[in-house]
Amino acid sequence: MGEFNQLAFWIIAFTVISCAIGVVTFKNLIHSAISMVCCFTGVAGVYVLLRAELAAAAQVLIYVGAISILILFAIMLTRHRSGDLKIFFHRQSWAAIPLMLLVGIVFTGVLASAHYMNSSSEAMNPDTRGIADILFNDYAFPFEVLSLVLLVAIVGAVLLASKEKQL
Amino acid sequence: MTPLQHYLFLAVALFSIGAWGVLARRNIILVIMCIELMLNGINIALIAFSNYSLDGAGRGQVFVFFIFAVAAAEVAIGLAITIALYRLRERMSVDELHEMKG
Repeated sequence: MGEFNQLAFWIIAFTVISCAIGVVTFKNLIHSAISMVCCFTGVAGVYVLLRAELAAAAQVLIYVGAISILILFAIMLTRHRSGDLKIFFHRQSWAAIPLMLLVGIVFTGVLASAHYMNSSSEAMNPDTRGIADILFNDYAFPFEVLSLVLLVAIVGAVLLASKEKQL
Repeated sequence: MTPLQHYLFLAVALFSIGAWGVLARRNIILVIMCIELMLNGINIALIAFSNYSLDGAGRGQVFVFFIFAVAAAEVAIGLAITIALYRLRERMSVDELHEMKG
């Protein structure tokens, strides 16, 4: 079981990283979006390896299902201009690679030198019942506020994208 | 079991690649996609910490659900702004949008 977990982790990690690099480097926006879908599916696999089945299901529903379709619709609605864009990286983009490496090296160094209380023992993530217990007892008020955030976002998105220019 | 550090290194790699895309690419929709990659990296870190914490396991997962909802709201607003900009200015590149430059 332990060896299988390790092997599955390395395969999924390789897939996620290569798909993420593909999102940034592909010239065609549709290819980037499909690569992003593969990346999100791999992240759902990582959640399954971490015994977070509810988060994996929500990841597939929200990211692979809803957000990807939303992004594909936006690509389709703005196609004629973004399709014939010839220059994909802007002029200061050379500075982005050293910045990315700096962020990655600093974070990796901090994480590698930190002391962990429990770095390789049994999994501790609770099942769906335990998650619901935490979510609806301890975090009930933030949960309700979150529904308000979503409502405001829906109304704001409709208002911004509506045809009439009343803004 | 895979040690905690490996999950965290994966999260850092995903976050850094997303940051690279946000800083380097021109297209607004691609910048939004790279922001989603960064949020996914953060989610992996939170769920990994939640899985390996001795007390309060599962709290990290609750934060991940909040991030899911905020990410969905952010994508909806971001794409609405993109479509409104496209309709008003016919532009899709972040370096062409300099109306608010002083």
